Amino acid sequence: MFKKILIANRSEIAVRIIRTCREMGIETVAVYSDADECALHVLEADEAVSLGPSEPSSSYLNINLIIQAAKSTGAEAIHPGYGFLAENPDFASAVEDAGLVFIGPPSRVIRDLGDKTKAREIMQSAGVDVIPGMLAGTEDIGTLCKEADGMGYPVLLKAVAGGGGKGMRIVEDPRGMKEVCASAMSEAEKAFGNGALYLEKFLKNTRHIEFQVLADQQGHVVHLFERECSIQRRHQKIVEETPSPGLSREIRRSMGKAALSAARASGYVNAGTVEFLLEPSGKFYFMEVNTRLQVEHPITEMTTGLDLVRHQIEIAAGNPLPFGQADITRRGHAIECRIYAEDPSEHFFPSPGPVLLYKEPEGPGIRVDGGIYEGFEVPVEYDPILGKLIVWAEDRKMAVSRMLRALRGYAILGVQTTIPFLVNVMESTPFEEGETYTHFIETHFADWSPENRESLLAGITYVIDDLARPLRASGTSEMADPPTPWETLGEWRL
Amino acid sequence: MKYNLQIDKETIPLEVSPVEGRNLAEVRAGEATHLVAYKAVSETHLHLLVDGRTVEAFVAKTEDGKHIFIGGQTFLVRDADRIPSSLSRSAAEELPGDITPPMPSVVVRILVAEGDRVESGQGLVVVSAMKMENTLVAPYKGLVKKINTRAEARVAPGDTLVEIEKEAPTDG
Repeated sequence: MFKKILIANRSEIAVRIIRTCREMGIETVAVYSDADECALHVLEADEAVSLGPSEPSSSYLNINLIIQAAKSTGAEAIHPGYGFLAENPDFASAVEDAGLVFIGPPSRVIRDLGDKTKAREIMQSAGVDVIPGMLAGTEDIGTLCKEADGMGYPVLLKAVAGGGGKGMRIVEDPRGMKEVCASAMSEAEKAFGNGALYLEKFLKNTRHIEFQVLADQQGHVVHLFERECSIQRRHQKIVEETPSPGLSREIRRSMGKAALSAARASGYVNAGTVEFLLEPSGKFYFMEVNTRLQVEHPITEMTTGLDLVRHQIEIAAGNPLPFGQADITRRGHAIECRIYAEDPSEHFFPSPGPVLLYKEPEGPGIRVDGGIYEGFEVPVEYDPILGKLIVWAEDRKMAVSRMLRALRGYAILGVQTTIPFLVNVMESTPFEEGETYTHFIETHFADWSPENRESLLAGITYVIDDLARPLRASGTSEMADPPTPWETLGEWRL
Repeated sequence: MKYNLQIDKETIPLEVSPVEGRNLAEVRAGEATHLVAYKAVSETHLHLLVDGRTVEAFVAKTEDGKHIFIGGQTFLVRDADRIPSSLSRSAAEELPGDITPPMPSVVVRILVAEGDRVESGQGLVVVSAMKMENTLVAPYKGLVKKINTRAEARVAPGDTLVEIEKEAPTDG
């Protein structure tokens, strides 16, 4: 087993990986940019190496610097987390060439599957249905327009090198297609260094269902069931759950089989995710394989009891999977809500800034994978994720109630967060009924503004805070003995 | 003590009468009077009993006002009588006419040139922050008088990136 691992990432995912390493007795090396000098992952790691300027291309995307950092600290393996270099085949091969272990699939697999059109080809030949559309990408806008006309609108524009919704656009009609192509191309070019796009037929009323797979170097492949991630804004997931409320026993079985075929066809090793779109008819299509740990991996961990990061590390170290498909069971229901520094009433516009107050929810069945702390300044340079709130309960209904309790007790001040929005999603009838489709937010929460604001209570808090402030300073703050009428109003003890 | 509090876009007048020697107060809001018992758990944590209902409130005080968290909701509450003039002025200056980024950003592309005629809602400048692109649009029909930025420039709220001369609406 490795003695030391470098984590080529930041914030909550770096912290999450460090935690498992610590449990396994593996030392950790964090890397950080100038903006992250005091970030949580730097504080939690055994060692930390500065990568310099905050601009991602100079720091978290700087392959040479990261490999140098691993060499100079004596790390034997590199965990890429998600985002940044996690799905960059050049990074994986540079790690391999440096004589280090990349904790993820071989660079060849990342290259094949990262080319979304190549991946479609592999799956088609393995007998897995793919969404109707182009099999090759292009940077020629004219070609894209012509293909779209042939296919019929609406179409879905996707980046060949895609991921995280970058460069992805739904185009409803030919008007504006050119401008949309140009903007998606520029976004893809910036995010992946490759502006090529391709088209898929846009399918309506679909659910996003993905299967977690684990494959070892000895050729064993298992799946850890599905996750439903239909609730998305900007094609980026914000709520995930498992089991999916929309999957029958038969569909689950055949989708699991398709996921295993997909993993085998690509020669997959390590943890990966096979994504599908499910139509209301029960027909499903392969979408893509994410060749890394997913943001939403904790819900699988909560229901299967397996630590995915631990198994990633074991597999990378050459150990065979200690279980077969029949040994994997799951129990109960898990939901994850992503806590972003975004203003949900302003179309999820990013909201960086200082964290003035931070208090995580606690209690049974609650897990917080956080990446910030009180006093931390959320930088403008990176993805606005602050952390992930995960709950587990015996069934879906209990999990929803537990998530509501947890969200209402997750106090973050200073930056706007998705918490008030997520509260309303959890309270909503369509969510309660499991009517979760990829257009959920557009359909039910377009132009959302906060509901049932407790403005009067906020006002009362303001004036009482003024009264209590001098008392706090002198240390004499004690609750009043309630006057007689109070005693009848309920239990009230100190 | 009387307050005029700004919460969201409302102004709420409140009058608070502390009960001498006890952590208890009457808060009058319009016709209604609320009895509030309180305990300051810490510098930022207030435990309230408002008309018999338990409220856990978290408060962070800044120059802007007080940021308050109650049960999954957050508020920025300001004392309208004590808002520094610079703050209230900047709020007034945020007319929809200003083409300025809502947060610190980097300019990705400029979509118009000086002298262009633009329609209301037409894209002018694409800015990027936290990996997300955002297009600033023309608030009204008009003529692009001046462009005060360039691609890759770092810009902040308050910077006017494009100046537009408003055109009088032609339809009756």
